[in-house]
Amino acid sequence: MSGNYRTWPTLVFLSVLTAPLILMYSYLFVDTITNTPPGSVIPNEFTLEHWRFLTETIPGRPSIWLATWNTFVFATVTMVIVLMVSSSAGYALSRLQLPARSFFLGGIMVLHAFPTVTLLIAIFLILQMLGLYNSLAGVILVKTALELPFGIWIMKGFYDTVPWEIEMAGIQDGATRFQVWTKLVLPQVKPAILALGIFSFLSGWSEFILPLVLAPDNNVQVLSVYLAALIADDQNFDMALFKSVGVFYVIPVIVLFVFFQNRLMNIYSGGTKG
Amino acid sequence: MGNSKHLGLFLLAPAGIFVILFFLAPVVLTGVFGFTNMSTATGITGGSYMVSESAMRPLRSRFGEDALADQLSKRIYTIDEEGLQAAAEAGGDAAALTELRSNFFNESFGNRREVETAIKSLNARPSTTRGIKIISAQFVKSVINVRFDTFEELLTSIADFGIELSDDQIEALADVTYTGWTFTLQNFKTMVELPDTRKTLINTLFYVFTTLILFNTGFALVLSISTHYMPTGPAGFFRSIWLLPRVTPPVLYVLMWKWLAWDTGFLSVILEPMGFAPRNWMLDSPTNAWVFIILINGIVGASMGMLIFSSAIKAIPASLFHASEVDGATRRQQIWHIILPQLRWPILFITIYQTLSLLTSFEYILLATDGGPGGATEVWALSTYLKALQNYGGALQYGYGAALSLVLVVIGISVSLIYLKLFDFKNLTAPPKIE
Amino acid sequence: MKHQLLRSTAIAVALAVGAAGAAFADSGKEYNLSVAAIAGPTDIYRIAAIEIAADLLEREYAVRGEIVHINIEGRPFTQWDEFRQAVTLAAEAGNAPNIVVASHVDIAPWAQSGLIVPAEDYVDLDAWPLNDIYPNLLEITSFQDQVWAIPQDAESRPFFFWKPHMKAIGYSDADLDGLAERIRSGDYTLENMLVDARKMIDAGLVEENRGFWPRPSKGPDYWMFYMAFGGEMEDGNGRLLLDKTSMAEFYQFFVDAVELGVIGKNHIGTPWDQWHGALTSGQVGMWQGGTWQFAEWTGKYGMDFFANATFSLVPGGGDNGRANTLTQPLVYLITDQDDEEIMGIAGELITIASEPRINALHAVNSAHLGISKAEETVGLYAGDRWIREATPVLLPFASAQPNNIFFGQYFEVMFSGLQAAWTGQKTVEEAIADVETELKAALGDNIVIK
Repeated sequence: MSGNYRTWPTLVFLSVLTAPLILMYSYLFVDTITNTPPGSVIPNEFTLEHWRFLTETIPGRPSIWLATWNTFVFATVTMVIVLMVSSSAGYALSRLQLPARSFFLGGIMVLHAFPTVTLLIAIFLILQMLGLYNSLAGVILVKTALELPFGIWIMKGFYDTVPWEIEMAGIQDGATRFQVWTKLVLPQVKPAILALGIFSFLSGWSEFILPLVLAPDNNVQVLSVYLAALIADDQNFDMALFKSVGVFYVIPVIVLFVFFQNRLMNIYSGGTKG
Repeated sequence: MGNSKHLGLFLLAPAGIFVILFFLAPVVLTGVFGFTNMSTATGITGGSYMVSESAMRPLRSRFGEDALADQLSKRIYTIDEEGLQAAAEAGGDAAALTELRSNFFNESFGNRREVETAIKSLNARPSTTRGIKIISAQFVKSVINVRFDTFEELLTSIADFGIELSDDQIEALADVTYTGWTFTLQNFKTMVELPDTRKTLINTLFYVFTTLILFNTGFALVLSISTHYMPTGPAGFFRSIWLLPRVTPPVLYVLMWKWLAWDTGFLSVILEPMGFAPRNWMLDSPTNAWVFIILINGIVGASMGMLIFSSAIKAIPASLFHASEVDGATRRQQIWHIILPQLRWPILFITIYQTLSLLTSFEYILLATDGGPGGATEVWALSTYLKALQNYGGALQYGYGAALSLVLVVIGISVSLIYLKLFDFKNLTAPPKIE
Repeated sequence: MKHQLLRSTAIAVALAVGAAGAAFADSGKEYNLSVAAIAGPTDIYRIAAIEIAADLLEREYAVRGEIVHINIEGRPFTQWDEFRQAVTLAAEAGNAPNIVVASHVDIAPWAQSGLIVPAEDYVDLDAWPLNDIYPNLLEITSFQDQVWAIPQDAESRPFFFWKPHMKAIGYSDADLDGLAERIRSGDYTLENMLVDARKMIDAGLVEENRGFWPRPSKGPDYWMFYMAFGGEMEDGNGRLLLDKTSMAEFYQFFVDAVELGVIGKNHIGTPWDQWHGALTSGQVGMWQGGTWQFAEWTGKYGMDFFANATFSLVPGGGDNGRANTLTQPLVYLITDQDDEEIMGIAGELITIASEPRINALHAVNSAHLGISKAEETVGLYAGDRWIREATPVLLPFASAQPNNIFFGQYFEVMFSGLQAAWTGQKTVEEAIADVETELKAALGDNIVIK
């Protein structure tokens, strides 16, 4: 738009700032398929040995495919529950007459202030009472709860931007509020659902502390915990393997990201008014 | 009207259940735990009563009951009628018990191993270790190191042992033999007394506000405004790149920084020819560590602000910019008079939201410096996690950790309430239009 | 579901293996036990030994005419913090592994909380093979006059010298052969060591800050330097002890080493692969490591150990110093379960797993020291030069950390004080003052401060 300004100074300025980030990501990939002599930054040979973990299971560790499966289940189910709960609660808060509505709205902000990760011991006790300690289901519930304030907030913001006229028309045609919500309003906020879904999936895919503490067993291990254990101590320290597993772990993230980045960019477009 | 209210509650219910289970209940429990001495040694779910050496020490020093402590510490195993019967009921080998009665009746032993030696001397000795253990367990006449589920059971056992207790002694015993947690204010006293508490607090404030001002709002503004003045292609590219850290798993993201900073890492290799000795740049000094911690967190944090600000700028009518250009406004004037006023609310929102996020976040610090060097980058949330859940010697201090997180909860809630006051709260609560 | 499939396959395989001895698999009692341990590629025998024991025990029962099936589920971990957290929380959830392979320092808190039961109630200490276990190891597994655990391995944390560099600063082969004895007798101290390390740097043999490298992360190894300056961890009556003078000298030693340029101020935090890589290739003059790391050095890093390195106790220092080393035996623990029978089986399993031949598999595979006298005569063990040479030099002089409920807290405070002083965040005096304040506040009269 701003036709009479030169763009190259800003381009150069941002390029310089962005270069280190690009460098770090590129090296992450390059290092997994090459060897580099010590004291240099230029690789000298190509190799696939760092990727052998795909076929060999390290003694004492779960198979990488089991961990991948667990991570996938964890991220997907988290995403689905976050979407269902936030889209319904967000609608209620945005459009429906509720007792103590402003209390709920303020509450979302306050909830975000609760240091859930530091309440882990108490959360552990609750999971234990529910019989869900050391299970994927338990961590999924906790992760979902953690994502909810953000999810509800985003959804509420998007619902706020849907014109009232759509609902008015629906009501006049004799639909109930529930039907109006599912049939007329939800389709209007599709971009929000898509963006929030991807965000929740990626957030679940990346989660580290919760599975580490609440589901420590090998058969429910997720990739982040699997990965961290590769550079854990003196006897299990393998940096090249760590990087390769790391790249394996991040590939789905990058793929999703490349395909959906424009959707992600829009996640806050409903929420700017606060 | 009623329909809508019910539907609203119905739609809110799932979120409500999550909030109660995983936000409110944990906070209440943490509130309780914060006033206990709960640790690995006391257990979480309750204790039992045991006369042990460590329980006898306070009985001597605090209550002056040396004689009682001596009596209770005695160990005796006696082969008597009662024990033989109990052994038979527990499934002890009958032939062995008969022989035990004829050879060792009424004999006493100083410990269980001696009893077992006696059992093993029998012709009809049980063939398995378990068979021997079942029998030997029945003759204990001491109370030391035996775990009782209730205090009454302990008292009965002491009475069986032939010791009479005064009321004061009973009270003292109940106090010293309980292995579970008890209520105390000690955690908060300790917190005030410890020299490192203040440092952790200062670290936390420094970390939160520096990251917030420099990156989460400052750099986010720079990114969104500079991409605004770019053609769509490059703008999208830069925004994507800066969003990437947010979606990269923390374990891996932090590793990339370490790769940059290690003493065989990129910085060391690049800087060596310029006369800088290779070193671990991240942990070289507290200043370095802070620079890295703030960069690591800030770059992740900047993306949220960038997206929010960008979409707010996009919402400004293009005609405003065109008109100002026709008037000959400089870019600086545009930013100052058109963009920034429009960003007032988004900036406030990001400030609140990120203050709270930063206050409770510790994952990146844990992975990057683990609070080092020498505790220089230990923030409150990390300190809580370390105390409650990470102890090299295995002594996890749940109670103290809970007290620490309680402080965080209180600070978090107060900050968010203050901000909500500042915020245009009416904006949030515009009433529904169909009712 | 993939993971159920994997699990049932694993169970099927375990059953098939277990059934081989019993010949028929349809009758008999079934016991399911889980074993949690720190077990990576080299130390997987901590769990495998129990699996072997299960097979033997089934056969013993079969010979006696009873058919039992014992299924072992391994729960391997890689990190101590995470492992302890997981075991403790699982126990609170009523889902504790039946057998836990942990450090002996875990005995005190876990015994106090009722997580574990005294092993001596479930095993026969007077019968083979437990009656052959080194008595000092059994002492380390005792707490409040009871034997709570059966030793699983032993190790020690010695001091190493890179021989070529030592020769380059004037030591002859004979000098090097006699060095371990000079250190033991107190003739060669930590102060001498710093001087030699500086010489190596001045001679250009190693770079600045690479004269002496101790363990690069938190670990009990650092207690050796406290003891090297005459410190004791317990007062002899079961109370923890802080000897401020020794602690200050110990902190001061690392501060001096930094000032001399012998060690970096941010040494803690060096990644393990850099650490291993540097010291196995002669880039470090002297270092302190663990006996088990021998496997890593000679294997993955291809070090010719005996040509290039010699080892000894950690030298003493100061006026009341003494050379010493630390052993932290790992132990088999039986957790408290509702089912007495399962605990009995657990007792029988750890007894069999302590057979010299079975334990030697772990010892040699992971370069750990053995647990019993008879093990020294097992071919596999006796044929290993490293273990054979290291055991007599180190193990008789090894002390252990105390089994004390409050030791874990003491450990954390000691280490954060060390780090504060080492990295220059606090002066030694400030660090000691803070350590004292913190210990007083946190432990009250459970610690003696002198």
